[in-house]
Amino acid sequence: MATPVTVEPAPASPHRFGRITLDMRQNLPPWKQAVFLGGSLAIGLVISIVILAFAGISPGELAGELAGVANADSLRNTLVQAAPLILVGLGASLAFRIGFWNLGIEGQMMFGGIFATAVSIAEIGPPSLRLLFMGIAAALGGMFWVLVVLLLKTRFRVNEIIATLLLNYVAMYFLFHLLYGAWQDARSAFPQSTPYKPFERLNDIGFNVNAGLLVAIAGVLVAGWFIHMSRAGFYMRFISSNPGMAKVVGVPIQTVTFWIVAASGACCGLAGYVNVASQEGRLTQSFADGYVFSGVLIAFLARNDPIVVAVVGFLISVLFITGQQLQVFYQIPFTMVQMIEAIIVIAVASSEFFIRHRVRWIR
Amino acid sequence: MNDFFINWLASAPVTAVPYALAALGLILSERSGVLNLTAEGLMLVGALAGAGAVLSLHVHPALALIIAMAAASLVSLLFAGLVVVLRVNQVIAGLAVVFFCQGLTGLIGTVAGWQNKQIDSLPSLNIWPLSEIPVIGRIFFMQDPIVYLTIAIFFGVNYVLFRTMLGLRIRSVGENPAAADAAGVSVSLHRIIAIVAGSCLIGLAGGYISVVSVKLWVTGMTGGRGWIAVALVVFARWAPWPALWGALLFGCIEAVIPRIAAAGIAVPQYLMLMTPYLATIAVMVWVGYRQSAVTREPGALGQPHVREERR
Repeated sequence: MATPVTVEPAPASPHRFGRITLDMRQNLPPWKQAVFLGGSLAIGLVISIVILAFAGISPGELAGELAGVANADSLRNTLVQAAPLILVGLGASLAFRIGFWNLGIEGQMMFGGIFATAVSIAEIGPPSLRLLFMGIAAALGGMFWVLVVLLLKTRFRVNEIIATLLLNYVAMYFLFHLLYGAWQDARSAFPQSTPYKPFERLNDIGFNVNAGLLVAIAGVLVAGWFIHMSRAGFYMRFISSNPGMAKVVGVPIQTVTFWIVAASGACCGLAGYVNVASQEGRLTQSFADGYVFSGVLIAFLARNDPIVVAVVGFLISVLFITGQQLQVFYQIPFTMVQMIEAIIVIAVASSEFFIRHRVRWIR
Repeated sequence: MNDFFINWLASAPVTAVPYALAALGLILSERSGVLNLTAEGLMLVGALAGAGAVLSLHVHPALALIIAMAAASLVSLLFAGLVVVLRVNQVIAGLAVVFFCQGLTGLIGTVAGWQNKQIDSLPSLNIWPLSEIPVIGRIFFMQDPIVYLTIAIFFGVNYVLFRTMLGLRIRSVGENPAAADAAGVSVSLHRIIAIVAGSCLIGLAGGYISVVSVKLWVTGMTGGRGWIAVALVVFARWAPWPALWGALLFGCIEAVIPRIAAAGIAVPQYLMLMTPYLATIAVMVWVGYRQSAVTREPGALGQPHVREERR
């Protein structure tokens, strides 16, 4: 008599609840990409509004502040504020395009401001050319502070992320050293330099537009021409898309890298100059606060494209002005702006995952 | 002059502990292949949570430090979700988390009114009779409990990372995630474990600054120590013990600044405050100068792992 065959029970599947797999998406139609991007931005903004509500600003009050930006006076402030933001956005996008993480934006702005103020204090050049000289000095100051890092990176393989961030603190203490010491305005109890003379300031040129914005727009046009039309811009795109190939066919990688990083520093130096010469009218201790991540954010949202940088820079300027008003009227610290910027970056970066992958749950 | 050196060396461990704990936390997470730049932000979260727990909940400082660890690891879940689950660029995600934390802690600290309020803290231990030994007693046997705990933590993390199965899996995920995945090791799970556990230590580093060392909360009080810890990890070549020696070096550098001012030596104050940052850059130059082709960098550092992606 044959023994009954016992059927062993199937082993329990390790994936009792199914499992999650990722499919690579080849190309998602643009409108779907826009839906994912818009959806995650909306989630990010809702989170920001909720956090602000906990901090004591009801959504209604927030809407009131945002609507207030549209009036003529605030529009002028927004346009003035847009200039340094566009310039740091340009500086960040130029450097990011060749894979150089320039996070020393604040330090370069400070050195821009310091060099410009040095020209003002030493009274270099005739009054009619003083502004120009200050601008050139500021660009050189920013360049100097970033090229130190490029030298460290190429010679000693020092990571530029950490080096640029640390040099922000060094620049800040150097600024304090000047403002609490030799350069302090004798008539003021605050750490700030003597005010610039009238011909050393960037003034309004009508239609709520400040001369600083012209500097920024000129920067956008030059950078746009440079990236999209010049030979060096072509080299730059070549290097960023395939560095190995670029090297093999003889693209002068080091020269191109040098000048682009220098241009990035110059943009940030100019941002510092525009800020001290238009808004502040003198060197102050906090004129560069909050620009590092603003530069990263603007470059990231604009995909390193100069023309888009101008648009995004203006939008972030609205955020800055709103933040300043909340600081004055509701005692909300200005770092709140950084938090919202970070939430925006997190939201947009997360949306890219859903644009590139399809998540499937297999039971 | 003797007093100067004894006071200096006796205060060095207090300034070294945040560097040591933060660097150890970063090593833990980077060994799993996640490039972690979040230390500056998570230290702020730990510092704020610790200070807030003492000021508002009136808890014992030791409990406040545990709350600091819990808060930092909670926020690190955001980072883990971004880089492990959503495969966001690890530099972008790290920076975003740092600036998010800077903004959030500034906001909460001001709104809750915790700025510049004195904190009752842990008393220093006095290991009698060892503390009576001249010179050595002051330096080695009259520190606060966390200094001694830090050394124990280093032994513990070293043991887990190099002597246990969990540590082997974490390191394998950092060296070659595809091979680890094929061997049945969950890459995502081990990376999340490493990030959260490391962030606990970073939170403790931050809580230590506000609750034990400075004894108050000020917006942005970590002042770049998190970035110095990131540099320290490169200097230590992703190994725990060198990170401890490096942290002691930076502790000595930072501790000498107030001592020189107290000794009445006239040096420009703000130029002195630059020294930790310049010393960090100098150390990184030295690492780059000395380093040959051999680095101990984890093989998959900074690379997200997607099983379905063809390489």
